[in-house]
Amino acid sequence: MDDQDILTTLKILIIGESGVGKSSLLLRFTDDTFDPEQASTIGVDFKVKTITVEGNNKAKLAIWDTAGQERFRTLTPSYYRGAQGVILVYDVSSKQSFNKLDAWLNELETFATKHDLVKMLVGNKIDKERREVSKEEGLKFARKHRMLFIEASAKTKEGVQYAFEELVEKIIQTPGLWETDKQGLKLSENASDGSYSACGGYCVI
Amino acid sequence: MDAEAIINDYVSAEDLKKYEQLYINQEKRGVINEKTHFDYALCLVRSKYTNDIRKGIAFLQDILQKTNDDQSRRDYLYFLAVGYTKLKEYENALQYIKMVQSLQPENHQALSMEKYIKKKLTHEGLMGMAIIGGAALAVGGLVGLGVALAKK
Ligand SMILES: Nc1nc2c(ncn2[C@@H]2O[C@H](COP(=O)(O)OP(=O)(O)OP(=O)(O)O)[C@@H](O)[C@H]2O)c(=O)[nH]1
Ligand SMILES: [Mg+2]
Repeated sequence: MDDQDILTTLKILIIGESGVGKSSLLLRFTDDTFDPEQASTIGVDFKVKTITVEGNNKAKLAIWDTAGQERFRTLTPSYYRGAQGVILVYDVSSKQSFNKLDAWLNELETFATKHDLVKMLVGNKIDKERREVSKEEGLKFARKHRMLFIEASAKTKEGVQYAFEELVEKIIQTPGLWETDKQGLKLSENASDGSYSACGGYCVI
Repeated sequence: MDAEAIINDYVSAEDLKKYEQLYINQEKRGVINEKTHFDYALCLVRSKYTNDIRKGIAFLQDILQKTNDDQSRRDYLYFLAVGYTKLKEYENALQYIKMVQSLQPENHQALSMEKYIKKKLTHEGLMGMAIIGGAALAVGGLVGLGVALAKK
């Protein structure tokens, strides 16, 4: 892949309870594989994937897949910094994983540095017979918290591609949330947080 | 390479300080639980400083001895591999990642880390050969020069 074609690099984070299928969704997306005996994540995992966004532009996704297990709760918040998109996952066959969503959003609120970051709620494992969370419940939660929403299955692939692509599309549509790699890093560094300082917040760019 | 991002990832100064303080507080009271030990070790092993990484490795080895839970053992072994990789002690790193794999042969994080370590090992091996090769050439050159001088 030619790096010159890359419009921007985006930091994406995947969070949620242990066992809901975060790593499985990621591996389905990046490698198109599924492991019924997927091992729980040690600390944090990392994957890169380049996708095409509007027109012929490409976005490089740097995806951090965090461990949901309690023992890593002290480690994972440090990965929230600078994330432009987050995928919050629950398991439709586990009410318990759905009930924990509020706590995850709280953590996100506390540790994320970009407050207009785009959030996608994913109800995973819809291939399973036994459901504990209806689609309506998921949708309602997503609306209430202004999140994108999709039900998916890492096992059957359903909804997986959509989850990542919609998230990226929405990030690209959010002005100020991302910067192009093409303009040189020095410029974008200055523009990142104190973007109003140069013109007192009144200038039109 | 995916594992490279994990190796090039560092703890923030605030986190290191925070978990060090928690550790010190427990130490003062004379009761350090495994969790506090682990949290601090994870910070140390992800530090920029060699001394911190070494200290983190020692901590991990310590809690590794004490645990009898396979899941914890897997995690400690993995971060030992991370620590040694950060120190560029790839032989040691490889040993630990192999131990993770003996517990979970299919673990893709371990697999990815193993690939990375092996790549580094081969690279270092080649560099070593190049240095030796270069030295041999230099010696050859000197001998040649000596011969040339002697003939004069
Ligand atoms: N039936 C079904 N099983 C799934 C699906 N997605 C994941 N699983 C299984 O659920 C288990 C947990 O999946 P993981 O991807 O490891 O879950 P995780 O959220 O990454 O867990 P942690 O790393 O511990 O936080 C594994 O056995 C997966 O094979 C799915 O869509 N359908
Ligand atoms: Mg996982």
